[in-house]
Amino acid sequence: MFTILFVILLNFFLFRVLPGDPARAGVRDPRLKADAVEALRVRFGLDKPIINCFNSLNPIQIGDCGVNPLDTQFFIYVRNLLQGELGFSYHTNRPVAEVLAERLWNTVLLIGVGQILAIILGMGFGIFAAWRARTSIDYVAVGTSLLLWSLPTFWLGILLLFWGSANGLPIAGKATPGMSSMPLLQQWGDIARHMFLPTLTYTIVFMGEYTLIMRSSLIDVLSEDYILTAKAKGLSAFQILKDHALKNAMLPLVTVIAINLGFTVAGAIQIESVFSWPGLGSAIFEAVVRRDYPILQGAFLLIAVAVILANFLADLTYSYLDPRVQAE
Amino acid sequence: MKRKFLYVFLLLALILSACGVGQSADAPAVVRIGWGASPDTLNPGNAILAVSYTIFELVYDSMYDLNLDGTFTLSIAESAEVSDDGTVWTFKIKDGLKWHDGQPLTAEDVAFTYNLYLNTPEYPYLNGYYTTYFDSIESTANNEVVLTLTEAIPNIESQLVFLYILPKHVWENVDKLEYENFEMMGSGPFKMAEYVQNEFVRLTANKEHFATPPKVDEVIFQTFDNQDALVQAIKTGQVDMITEMSNTAVANLKAEANVEVISGAPFSPGVTDIIFNQMLPENCPVDEGGLCTGHPALQDRNVRLAIAHATNKQQLIDVILLGLGTPGLTLIPDGLGVWYNDSLVDYEFDVAKANQILDDAGYADTNGDGVRETPDGSLPLTFRLNWPSDSIDTPRMAELLTDMWKQIGITLQPQAIDPDALTALCCPTFDFDIMIWGWVSDPDPSALLYVYTTDAIPYGSSETGYANPRYDELYNQQQVTLDFEERKEIVWEMQKIVHDDVVYVIPYYAQSVQAFRTDRFTGWITDQDKIELSDVSSLVRIEPVK
Repeated sequence: MFTILFVILLNFFLFRVLPGDPARAGVRDPRLKADAVEALRVRFGLDKPIINCFNSLNPIQIGDCGVNPLDTQFFIYVRNLLQGELGFSYHTNRPVAEVLAERLWNTVLLIGVGQILAIILGMGFGIFAAWRARTSIDYVAVGTSLLLWSLPTFWLGILLLFWGSANGLPIAGKATPGMSSMPLLQQWGDIARHMFLPTLTYTIVFMGEYTLIMRSSLIDVLSEDYILTAKAKGLSAFQILKDHALKNAMLPLVTVIAINLGFTVAGAIQIESVFSWPGLGSAIFEAVVRRDYPILQGAFLLIAVAVILANFLADLTYSYLDPRVQAE
Repeated sequence: MKRKFLYVFLLLALILSACGVGQSADAPAVVRIGWGASPDTLNPGNAILAVSYTIFELVYDSMYDLNLDGTFTLSIAESAEVSDDGTVWTFKIKDGLKWHDGQPLTAEDVAFTYNLYLNTPEYPYLNGYYTTYFDSIESTANNEVVLTLTEAIPNIESQLVFLYILPKHVWENVDKLEYENFEMMGSGPFKMAEYVQNEFVRLTANKEHFATPPKVDEVIFQTFDNQDALVQAIKTGQVDMITEMSNTAVANLKAEANVEVISGAPFSPGVTDIIFNQMLPENCPVDEGGLCTGHPALQDRNVRLAIAHATNKQQLIDVILLGLGTPGLTLIPDGLGVWYNDSLVDYEFDVAKANQILDDAGYADTNGDGVRETPDGSLPLTFRLNWPSDSIDTPRMAELLTDMWKQIGITLQPQAIDPDALTALCCPTFDFDIMIWGWVSDPDPSALLYVYTTDAIPYGSSETGYANPRYDELYNQQQVTLDFEERKEIVWEMQKIVHDDVVYVIPYYAQSVQAFRTDRFTGWITDQDKIELSDVSSLVRIEPVK
């Protein structure tokens, strides 16, 4: 709770330290007259002082400390937030909550599927490599994983984009325009086709990381005495893995997945821009360029909540995997 | 095991591709356009981005149409008459016009719309710029619109061309600022069918349009965040036309069968400018936050003239634009047609002459370090050179300019700066020496001519600090000169003045490059002064290849 409160405060000031005027938003047009900019500033509430004593943070403009504290940008921001009101985007004039919900769903769809595939494949390869440690299969698996992990995401994306487009796969967007009138099953098929390349890119990039972590942690566990005991009891390799080794070896992987999950709500910006995927990442990027404070505040709040939530889930998973870790 | 997964992937890919929709011979003619943008908003009053206006052009009608050669034709009105003093315009609206929902479009809608724009100061362009001279608007029982201006102006067409006519029966019931207008009830040649922001805009043909019913059935604009994907999409036939591409892709795409690449002046012609801070300390707009730290040598016309002579514009065009541009003269680009003063002769590229000018003006290299100093010896000719960091081309230009101007004893300190931070340094702060930036032009030259005026300094539109009473006088004069030829003469003289004073060095006017598939649709307009395949002129004309 304290963390979220801190994020709310930081969010407000962080973006206002950036130079530039959202009412102009980098627009260079002789048709944009000073009166129009002023009208926009009034509309967005940017004509009000940021907070008592300060009219602006960049450049720092000392203002009147006697202004009504209820009539400052900061107070209005906090009050709206408490009412669950995230405001309107300066750039698109749309409600922030609506824009973010749209984008978040797209991101969760892409990242969620990508993560699940990466986890399954990464764990699979990791277990396999650890079980066959120091054989040629292991070396190939480790080598490949290292290579995949170190691949620049956008480069792999572009390669797959060229390959995919030559094979008739869609390379941009989330759906074929006009599909919304089709039966639901076809719509989902269409989205799946659009998701194929970005998801594949995402899976490949994260799979390598998970394979390596799974492998090394499992090798550690497999060298423990109790595994030897299990072997001595005559348990099969499968039983040893399933009942004795895996649960313990999962802990480091869960940590990394939790960290990745939290941050990837921010969207895999590179993948999103290569495949024109309308996710959160590209929304944030655009909002920074346009100084779209309401979108930025909303998005960062969302990310903060996601990171905290992911960590909370990781903690819960810990106590399930390792009963020694108990929630107090 | 690994191979097994690969097979699963491939199988998945096959299954998924089988889900694709097959195309039969009777399928509707759908034009798929790839572009690198998405409208900011569909509410015409709030819109800033040019791509939004592309959609408005297709879905709405307005009083005039802007043609690719820069001329205007009356659209929804059958006649336009002006009073003798030039302040009262009467437009007779055509009878029988219809909105997409079948309701009649009348003078009442037009008057309602113009009043809406006039009375909403929060609309940045439609109010802030285009209704500046509006006094009052009324509709008559005779289906006429009477527009009274505060003063007679010569360019009523360009003032009205972007004031899209909105349906009164929709807009009188909505919040004019917050209304997102996703339904976009219009009267133009295309109807809004579906819009997903940052994904696509889908329009269907309005075959009942009074003037230009489209021959195709549907137009889809799809957003691509990635220029390589855009080029790949037209190569593989995923789209039928692309509105932009990087110049490096041109050669590659030209070699492609069934794809034709065209280039020319853009629909809204652009200009790239090298800006000299020549703000005199005594004119510094201190009240507006002016710092005016410009290098004093740049206030000397001789220095700017020498720089102009030392700039090899053709090389800049060849290296940076790969030849896809024309050499620049003033802020008025050649794409503005008659307004562009093509009688001006540019300063020839001649390093020796440039050096001579500096020698004669007393800028000598007294300490032998290769950099000249000001005549009093106090300051070396070392200039800060800044440009917006979101520009892809400019770093290369900065590098080339550094080499070119080194030949005449000038050193540059190049640095890219975030566009918003640069705006803060620029105007009216004047905390820079030289900047590279650009403008996009309105169809009427007035907007860019304003940038040179003294009035524009405190407003932050003037980026040079140039002040010339004679120029200001001509600017005001051309604003109210009703005779076309006479106004053109004034506009040409203004360009001559700022060219003589070397207010800017204009390296080039970049061309726009677009491409279309020749095996899908035919009839694209490619032979005009300006090119814009996504303009309504092309989209109502094209038909499927038989």
